[in-house]
Amino acid sequence: MAEITKQKMEQIAQIWNARGDGLITHMALDIEDVSNEGVQVRMPFNPDFCVDSDQTLLHGGILTALLDSVFGLANFVSIEGVSAMVTLDLRVDYLRAARSRSDVIVRAHCFRKTRHIAFNAGSIWFDGHEDAEIARGTASFALTRGDADLFEVMTEGKAS
Amino acid sequence: MDLQTVNANVSRVPFFRFLNFEVQSLDSLHAEAEMTFETRLIGNPVMVLYHGGIIASFMEATAAIAVHPEFAEVPAKPINLTVDYLRPATKGPLFARANVTRKGKRIASVSVISWQTTREKPVAEGLYHFLLV
Repeated sequence: MAEITKQKMEQIAQIWNARGDGLITHMALDIEDVSNEGVQVRMPFNPDFCVDSDQTLLHGGILTALLDSVFGLANFVSIEGVSAMVTLDLRVDYLRAARSRSDVIVRAHCFRKTRHIAFNAGSIWFDGHEDAEIARGTASFALTRGDADLFEVMTEGKAS
Repeated sequence: MDLQTVNANVSRVPFFRFLNFEVQSLDSLHAEAEMTFETRLIGNPVMVLYHGGIIASFMEATAAIAVHPEFAEVPAKPINLTVDYLRPATKGPLFARANVTRKGKRIASVSVISWQTTREKPVAEGLYHFLLV
């Protein structure tokens, strides 16, 4: 399987890190590893995402949001010639209480891509505790094929 | 349980404050809430759409309140969820209605729909399970 070029990696990081004031920026995600086999992303601890007043227990919803975002990244990396991509459905299991102030690590990949659909799976754990997954999810995405690459569309959007 | 007390509970949860929503109606099997649009909730900055994970989070929050509105410290414990995304959610308020399909001794099943202009055109629907023990 072809490795991703250094140039595309840099462009991915650039787009990812400059996405306006949206949620991905707020989550302060840091890409740790990208290849055609999958992506790994780190989310620093953020007290805004907790449910308890002590701010040590993450809300499940932020883990779901994290999976959705990282699935999008995994598809973006591994599928060529896509002009648009939307989440069709998402399923998440919360495997244990997400109680920690450690950074959160997500690993996700696209395990099947067709002309119209991409299928994803991913896992989440606290940094240093890969043996104790806190959530696991799967999703499917609807892809729109077109001449305009998703990457190019977003790059243009940024430039204008 | 009156709405004022429930919304006071909601405002004590940091992530619920982040989402910024208000419970608008409540009975023993239902909860309905409205979320205000904020830039930090955007998933697609080019088209200005809500993040799918935020929609799922808002529906989960509404479902947890329907299951256990009088939570003291933390909301009801979620087990898992399935969400179908039906339409894009654009800039503007977002609504959710949670319906407790079954509440047993240990587990509750909740179905939730989310919409913007009319509930006949939902943006997403979801099924959520909660652990009650």
